[in-house]
Amino acid sequence: MRALAAATLAALALPAAAFAHANLVKREPSFGQRVETAPRQIVLHFDQGVIVVPQSVQVKTQRGVPMTAGPTRTAKNGKLVSVPVRRLPTGAYTVRWQVTSLEGHVLSGVYTFGVRRNPPPPTEAFGASGPTGTEDVVRWGLFLALALLVGGLGFRLIVVGDRATPQLDRRFYLVAAAGVIGALELGIAGFILRASDALQLPFGRLLYGDLSPLAQGTRFGLAFIVMTLGFGLVAALVFLSWLTERAALLWPAFALSLGLCSGLSLSGHSAVDTGASWRSELADWVHLSAACLWIGGLVQLGLVVWPLAPELRREAFLRFSRLAAVLVALLVGAGAYLAYLRLPEASDLWEEPYGRVLAIKLVLAALALGWGGLHRLVVRPMLERGEPPAGLSRSLLGEGAVGMAVLLVAAVLVNANPPRRPAPGGSATVGAAR
Amino acid sequence: MMPPAEVVHWMFGTGFLFLGLCLLAEAIVGREVWRARAWRAYLWPSVAFLMGLLMWPVMVFFTSSAVHMLAHGAWAQVMMLAGATQLALVRGKLRNELWNLAVPAALLVSGAAFLIHEQNPWLFSRSAFLHHALGWTAIVGAMFPLASTFRPRSPVLRGGFAFVLVAVAVLLFCDRNVAPIFGHLSPLAGSGPGS
Repeated sequence: MRALAAATLAALALPAAAFAHANLVKREPSFGQRVETAPRQIVLHFDQGVIVVPQSVQVKTQRGVPMTAGPTRTAKNGKLVSVPVRRLPTGAYTVRWQVTSLEGHVLSGVYTFGVRRNPPPPTEAFGASGPTGTEDVVRWGLFLALALLVGGLGFRLIVVGDRATPQLDRRFYLVAAAGVIGALELGIAGFILRASDALQLPFGRLLYGDLSPLAQGTRFGLAFIVMTLGFGLVAALVFLSWLTERAALLWPAFALSLGLCSGLSLSGHSAVDTGASWRSELADWVHLSAACLWIGGLVQLGLVVWPLAPELRREAFLRFSRLAAVLVALLVGAGAYLAYLRLPEASDLWEEPYGRVLAIKLVLAALALGWGGLHRLVVRPMLERGEPPAGLSRSLLGEGAVGMAVLLVAAVLVNANPPRRPAPGGSATVGAAR
Repeated sequence: MMPPAEVVHWMFGTGFLFLGLCLLAEAIVGREVWRARAWRAYLWPSVAFLMGLLMWPVMVFFTSSAVHMLAHGAWAQVMMLAGATQLALVRGKLRNELWNLAVPAALLVSGAAFLIHEQNPWLFSRSAFLHHALGWTAIVGAMFPLASTFRPRSPVLRGGFAFVLVAVAVLLFCDRNVAPIFGHLSPLAGSGPGS
């Protein structure tokens, strides 16, 4: 106790010297800002003194032309960092900065601003790279987590209802918990990876990278914020439902999770590509939500109901079969609309890289739909007659596995750019601002 | 729009103080007396769970560096986990007493996160001192709930855990942006958001 008291007193007695390391608190011009008058210098305000070298702040056009007109300087005990710039013509500019905090750590950041035009998001700053294979895998994991969560909740509420047994519920909650934890963790991983693309730093230095322009200045960042907060709440609701044995709490969790699927739509192609509108965003959300409900429902049927509740098998299969028919109709309808928007020519399917990935997705989706159709046309009548076929559990999981493969291709597709289309004004545009 | 970092620290300090005082009261009067009212058994685990939930906004809105974001994310998760396992044990949804180990695990992870995300030595600044003190308090303090898992009726161990949480609260209250308490303002003292 004496040591504790001594430590506390020492903490109080020490001179107040700000925080862990220097933070960038203000930029002039600010990130994402459109200025009508070209600035003569770029100024960064830190909350502690920092050390700079002549090239600490670099300003470049979107084509990589350096625009700095002198070395980086500091003022106000190193808290103010500035660099003069040449006359900036109309256009977008990327600012990359790198300073050393007084304790020796290198802090970095990137942001964009525009002179008489809107700048792109930091994810499309000069020098930023596109999504990597790792990001595809993380996004796939996120889709799978959403399927486990949304599909699991939907299945439990719509298909099973109040017929759930304690054993069934136990496994259902385990699957749902895996889904919501996966959604949280993979969402964070995806954000960090996207930040890494923009900042172009090795992991050790990325830890001290300023992520605020990405979190607050991009659709992707906004989606990250909303989805992280939302899935935190969903985790609490699912836990409380398990704790209190009140399935009613799963309804708000289900509604919220379904709504959060739109976060991926709002930060993806449907929000920014040519032809993007509220219709394309809605279609994208319906497409993803229906896929999650379908695949997650198959997992629940094959992994939870079949092994743990034999008495529910027939009824659950028949009820899910009816639900799946609606889901497949929504999935196909929304998917066809989105394909028409992004690939107006049939030849795009084999001529464009995006089209070729979409073609693979279509083949896999057709396989999954065919498998589902077999279940509906062959297995369903057998179950109605009370003659369950052997190995149906494995077959259901097989259909689910193909669905998961479709999600993998979908993850690659989301991170790819659709082909350029001539805009009404004549110039070509492509998916941006993600 | 966002509150200064120090205010957020004080809010969580209030939460930890409440947790510590609840546990201290339980250690003093004994578990049977404390739980004479059923709701009291749920009190501190519920507050811990809620504090974990409230840490998520801190994580997503204070993104001045990736390491801070990850540290706040770790605290959000372990606080929710610790609160959730205690709630489930009280409710009877979990029966194995080893689930109590979630609390020392949460303290260990929290302490490690404090120490990892603080890059400066102890005496570099007020904040650095606090981060080191908080980190080691959490790590050393984890021994109390760890031992308490195997000797659950020991009032010393339960009281020790309560004091650890009170100490964490005091240290969080010590965090302030501009604070000429006993000393003077350093030329390095800033006024921006921090960890």
